[in-house]
Amino acid sequence: MLRFLLNRLGQSVVLLLIVTVITFFLINLAPGGPASTMRMEASPEERQAMIEKLGLDQPIYVRYIDWITNAVQGDLGISFTSSEPVIQRIIERLPYTIELTVFTIIISVIIGILLGVLSAIKRGKAQDHMINFMSVIGLSVPAFWLGLMLILLFSITLGWLPSSGVGSRGADFDLWGWVSHLILPVLILTTTVLPNIVRFTRSSMLEVISQNYIRTVRAKGAKESIVLYVHALRNALIPVVTIIGVLIPRLLSGAVITEAIFGWTGIGTLIIEAARGRDYPLVMGVTVMITIVVVVCNLFVDLVYSRIDPRVKNV
Amino acid sequence: MKKSKWKFFSTLLLSIVLLAACSYGGDSATSSGEKENGNSTGGGPKKGGKVSIPIVADPTFNPWHPNAYAESNVINRVLFSGLTQPGKDLVPAPDLAEKWEASEDGLEWTFFLRNDVLWHDGEKFTAEDVAYTFNEIVLNKELGANNASYFQKLKEVQVVDDYTVKFLMESPVAALPAYLSFNTEILPKHIFEGNDPWELTSFNKKNPVGTGSFKLKSYTSGQNVVLERNDDFYGETALLDEVEYKVLADANTHVAQILSGELSIFALDDLAALERIEKAKGVTVEGRETTRFFWLIVNQTMEKYQDVRVRQAILHAIDRQNIIDTVLKGYGTIADAGIAPALKEYYTNDVTRYDYDPERAKELLAEAGWKDTDGDGIVDKDGEPFKIDFEIGIQGDLEAVSQMVQQYLVKVGLDVKLNAMEWNAMVQDVVVNRDYEMSLNWWRYPADPDLSAYMHSNSIKGMNIPAYQNEELDKLLDAGAQASDVGERKAIYMDAQKLMAEELPYMFLWYPQEAQVRVDKLKGVPDLAFGDALHYIHEWYIEE
Repeated sequence: MLRFLLNRLGQSVVLLLIVTVITFFLINLAPGGPASTMRMEASPEERQAMIEKLGLDQPIYVRYIDWITNAVQGDLGISFTSSEPVIQRIIERLPYTIELTVFTIIISVIIGILLGVLSAIKRGKAQDHMINFMSVIGLSVPAFWLGLMLILLFSITLGWLPSSGVGSRGADFDLWGWVSHLILPVLILTTTVLPNIVRFTRSSMLEVISQNYIRTVRAKGAKESIVLYVHALRNALIPVVTIIGVLIPRLLSGAVITEAIFGWTGIGTLIIEAARGRDYPLVMGVTVMITIVVVVCNLFVDLVYSRIDPRVKNV
Repeated sequence: MKKSKWKFFSTLLLSIVLLAACSYGGDSATSSGEKENGNSTGGGPKKGGKVSIPIVADPTFNPWHPNAYAESNVINRVLFSGLTQPGKDLVPAPDLAEKWEASEDGLEWTFFLRNDVLWHDGEKFTAEDVAYTFNEIVLNKELGANNASYFQKLKEVQVVDDYTVKFLMESPVAALPAYLSFNTEILPKHIFEGNDPWELTSFNKKNPVGTGSFKLKSYTSGQNVVLERNDDFYGETALLDEVEYKVLADANTHVAQILSGELSIFALDDLAALERIEKAKGVTVEGRETTRFFWLIVNQTMEKYQDVRVRQAILHAIDRQNIIDTVLKGYGTIADAGIAPALKEYYTNDVTRYDYDPERAKELLAEAGWKDTDGDGIVDKDGEPFKIDFEIGIQGDLEAVSQMVQQYLVKVGLDVKLNAMEWNAMVQDVVVNRDYEMSLNWWRYPADPDLSAYMHSNSIKGMNIPAYQNEELDKLLDAGAQASDVGERKAIYMDAQKLMAEELPYMFLWYPQEAQVRVDKLKGVPDLAFGDALHYIHEWYIEE
């Protein structure tokens, strides 16, 4: 187990290093550096002053070495656009994205498993077709389009829900304000992951139902509900756990679009601001953070998987 | 086992609720509007209420900071004050300076300041603040302050006494009062002295101290900035309780929010949504004059574009009125030169005009030696077909407009390849590297007819992007910049406009009108472009 952990840790460090190199060179070599984000009217002297101030007159490899040397010591640098530490900007925004992601996962898992099981036990029937059809729709509809349509319906036409923002926090916190701001973005993010969980649960459930031990349980005369929910579902859910690990990166990328549409002030909007403003340290900081989240989630899933399914051994 | 699972989930949920309640910096926006004061002033404007304005990114509360873009400008001109401000007729009007005068030779401007101005932290505003802002920030070349290019002829600001300053110039600049009204607000010396003005995040990002009619109440990054009325404001105290700027990156959200009543006012960039807004109840769209002109430029360092007939042919080939009617939905008028109709005193349309006339365009091209000799539909000269690389940045309706321009030019035999790029990449190619052949964009300038920065031959490294050089125009622009008499300036700029229209340093397209979207209950907004109307935000009020 310890060897497995060390092995994975080593792999993660290499992965992180590769991600930082690729991102650093991509963003630095993209046309239009920080000096181009200045107003069109900025004079060549103003642009040069900015380039020198930000140290962008140094060769790119020197800048990368500087950046990585500071980063391993926990210093992700200062944001070009706000002159604040990158880590502080990430910490400010991270809770909002966590909030969105956690609710999406909870709702998607509950509904996804229910629909997946229903679809499996009603295999070939109307309910199954209906659920499959809805899954395909959910997978195919682009989030930005659906988001705008929902805003049009619920915010403008019906006036039930706010079209954007995160609601009042802190001293002015009100529960309905908070929940009402959460509904639409969570709904959109749910549609991006729910169909996967439904389809995964369905196929896993179908596989388990056809196993010999289920036949044995049935032969022993157990009630069908006991067969399904006690014997089949528990085993069918094991592979579903893995998909949650796969879904987290997808949720984070989905959050970029969803947060932009709904003015949700999380990591998604932060990375858009960073890319638009050619805020290199911020782009790097957010990338490193997201990579770490993804690596940790995958590791966590591997560990949990081996715990709940004794046949899987991490060596 | 089951119990512990439920315990886990309920703890998780509870912690998220608590996290939401306790974190996020505490004191963010409150909804106001029903505050206690209700001092009505008879049947007229009432005190109270809040307006909400969209911004696309987090602001920087320092007008001179190189990162202070449009989203910062709309806040900074409310938080801070300049020496002058655009009057309701756009002529510079008093703000922190009560009056000003220029010496006979135009090299010394004296500004007499108000003596009743307090910074938001209670300190007194004095001439020292003005001198500090200009001498230490604007004129410090290493800092590269925003808009410093307007003050290239400024040598120094001298403090005469507590409430008098002198601007000493290298050569006369008649537009100085207009420049001082355009994103050039004064900063407090007592806070900035001894600090790097760009690194002072406690001010620039957290707690700005200005002299404006509103002061900062709260700022939540990525979410909103809330300003509250400054009861110690030196002018008329504002009627509104609060001004909220909501950070909303997506333009579609702006439209959605004004329709749902969550926003109050903004200038609509992409007119595609115009019809939907015009049909909606409780929201009005009004056209406002601005000091902007849209242009099409060709790189005049290239020989083929140095022939004025080619530039004239290009302008004859484009049906500008059709573009204005379709893409701009009528929000604009054809431009003949650079001085916009908003500058009523200086504007003239009594100049050479280029009607849509593709046949005339072909004739002019033929006169310049460009004819379709091989019958492939593309004009050529010395065996070389007329190919154009047309680079633009993606923003607002620039792409839609450029596609139409491309089609018009193809019709007269020019082989135009349109390359719509991400904005910063376009700036890098066109503005920084000057590595382009044709481009389309606009300039917005302070309310003064001095366009030297855009067309004078000594601005070729600056904003004279087409690299146009003409001694006659240089002389006129120099004379206009230095003349202090309005009558004399008028005459000079009439001649300058005639020459611009004849010579086409830029191929002038149109003077856009701003489509200002406003909820009907917001009153007291003067008939000015949104950015200028913000100088009068203390007059705005809500009528329920």
